[in-house]
Amino acid sequence: MSNEQVPTSLRELLADIFEISPERVTPELSMGTLDSWDSFRHLQAILAIEGEYGVQFDPQRIPELTSVARLQAELVKMGAVL
Amino acid sequence: MQSDSERRELRREIKDAAARQDAAGAVACARRLMAESSKPADVQFCATALAGIGDALREQLGTRRLKTYVVRSVTVEPMLASLAVEAVLANYVLDLEVGGYGAYADELLNFDSSLVKFHPDLVLILLDMEEIAGRLPELCAEGIGAEVEREIEECVGRMAQLLRSYRAGSTARILLQGLVVPDCTSLGDVGEANLPHSLTNAVQRLNQRLAALCGTIADCVFFDVDRLAARAGRARWRDARMFLATRLAVAAEWFRDYARGMVRTFSTMYRAPRKVLCTDLDNTLWGGVLGEDGPEGIATGSAFPGNCYLEYQKYLQQLSSRGILLAIVSKNNEDDAREAFKVRAADLALSMDSFVALKINWNEKADSIRELAKELSLGLDSFVFVDDNAVECEAVRRQLPEVAVVEAHAAEPWRLVEVLSEQPFFDAAVVTGDDVHRVDEYRAQAKRAELASSVGSRDEFLASLGIVCAFQSALLAPLSRAVQLLAKTNQFNLTTRRRSAAEVEEYAAAEGGQAVVVRVRDRFGDAGVVGLALARRQGDSCVIDSLLLSCRVIGRGIESALLAYVGQQALRSGAKRLVGEYIATKKNAPCADFYSDHGFTRIIPSEEVSSGPVFYELDLTASVLTSPKWIALEGNER
Repeated sequence: MSNEQVPTSLRELLADIFEISPERVTPELSMGTLDSWDSFRHLQAILAIEGEYGVQFDPQRIPELTSVARLQAELVKMGAVL
Repeated sequence: MQSDSERRELRREIKDAAARQDAAGAVACARRLMAESSKPADVQFCATALAGIGDALREQLGTRRLKTYVVRSVTVEPMLASLAVEAVLANYVLDLEVGGYGAYADELLNFDSSLVKFHPDLVLILLDMEEIAGRLPELCAEGIGAEVEREIEECVGRMAQLLRSYRAGSTARILLQGLVVPDCTSLGDVGEANLPHSLTNAVQRLNQRLAALCGTIADCVFFDVDRLAARAGRARWRDARMFLATRLAVAAEWFRDYARGMVRTFSTMYRAPRKVLCTDLDNTLWGGVLGEDGPEGIATGSAFPGNCYLEYQKYLQQLSSRGILLAIVSKNNEDDAREAFKVRAADLALSMDSFVALKINWNEKADSIRELAKELSLGLDSFVFVDDNAVECEAVRRQLPEVAVVEAHAAEPWRLVEVLSEQPFFDAAVVTGDDVHRVDEYRAQAKRAELASSVGSRDEFLASLGIVCAFQSALLAPLSRAVQLLAKTNQFNLTTRRRSAAEVEEYAAAEGGQAVVVRVRDRFGDAGVVGLALARRQGDSCVIDSLLLSCRVIGRGIESALLAYVGQQALRSGAKRLVGEYIATKKNAPCADFYSDHGFTRIIPSEEVSSGPVFYELDLTASVLTSPKWIALEGNER
């Protein structure tokens, strides 16, 4: 899969937070495959996404949203406009 | 919020500026982006870009690098990008290290904790209610509060022990964050307001006590986070969902205000407040244009909109009462302005006498400010300029980048005080008697200048001043004043080392060490503590680490008297040589020849070096340092 499957706004946001180029933000990118995606960056990404799309994640779901695909799916589920 | 394309353009400019290591360009664009966008991703983008030009910031903008350790009990990591960016915008680069969640007591008490081993310049202590005063909510909740006061005492005692223990082993500057008054309590709004031992009252008292505690510890400042929370709305300051799930103590939307408040607070330990406010007259100090509306037509006084300007005048009067000098810089006829102050005296909170200097003429304002700096013997970085005219503001910004420019919005005169108070440049955690008397001192300066022009020779003039120098240990004078001098003296400062209070204490306590201040007065007034020297013994030499003099007393021989005193004390402690050091900076050229002028010989280094410290020595057994004959000495044990 390629980075085109990730909406531009989410791709750019995650690229900023994880300090990588937007091209690297693919659906498969995850906490396990990216060194800079540690638990604190994860929280920072969650906060940035909440602010960007005006949503609030269920805190119990937060630890599970550890890949771009999962984050994206959760956002779609919550009705966010990506 | 600006359009997305402008945001992208700014990001591109930041990236380009960072790529070519253009520090000023990157900072300017980052400042604009941060003013327009609150997106966390943009904050992180700026943090990343600015982190990559740390060296350029230091070399090109003199940005101060601070090794900073965060002692915490809550989650701070998502906020660090905001902290790093706000710090750079205030000209600091923070090398951040974050401690463990439960480790604060061990870190502060244990002499080989990770905090101590880090050797920080700055320690930020960010603890939550649970750690500082965990029992307080429960003790306040029953309404009687029999044990509340004792608990507050114990909390303050515990914190005092932690701070003093750490202080004893480190010279790092310390910021201690206070508590936020909880918004939701079981006593409810009415109980919180009326019961003397409510949690609201208890937390406010505890904060006051912690602030007072910080005042008793060298290089320690209290960070009143409750003030920020109250401004934002305490109910929204913390996101309970995120706090309970992740221990994030401040909601993400306030990261910038929080970071800015923290930077503003610790800045007071590193830089002195600005000293002079230059105000425009028309549509700034009063409404309307004097030349067109006449003295009766300008707006000032108790009725709207004149009261907007009256509020501004009162604010200036308050600044003046703590030693900020006021000056007028206005394009007007001076006679017209004088008449307006006379005719409208009852409607003005300030009189002509409230100002230490007037530049009311048709010259360029940048030239007027330059002249003021010369007349008051102050650096341009001590000046603030307030004007409603965007063109005048921009001209001053371009010609005198050191001057802080505040643009007053003529259409919204009620915002003037708010706009001014948002700015950090008059911030001070400590106000000394010397600050308060500064305004009188500058008036005395004007009288001296008058006398100088009427008396023939320089020596005759100096003799007629009746100068008295009193020397004393820096520990006996207010220590805060010594540290203030170290922090802000630039022109007559041989080494420009910004020593902390703890370091001054070390010099005073060391065997053969000296930490001496000089207090100066003359027939026109008491200038207070204006000079300082730090020295210590090395073998049979006494080495002067720091020697400085406030610029407002330069040229009266006080520096010679101070050096003579240090030499004499060195001789008494058994030293045979006095060693002086000069480190050139952009500003201290006036004292470049200080040691050679006093008979010292330059120590030629074994290898020729073009920059860095230059050392001088004087054989104390062969030559005598003398104090100028026109200065009377006190506290000199001869």
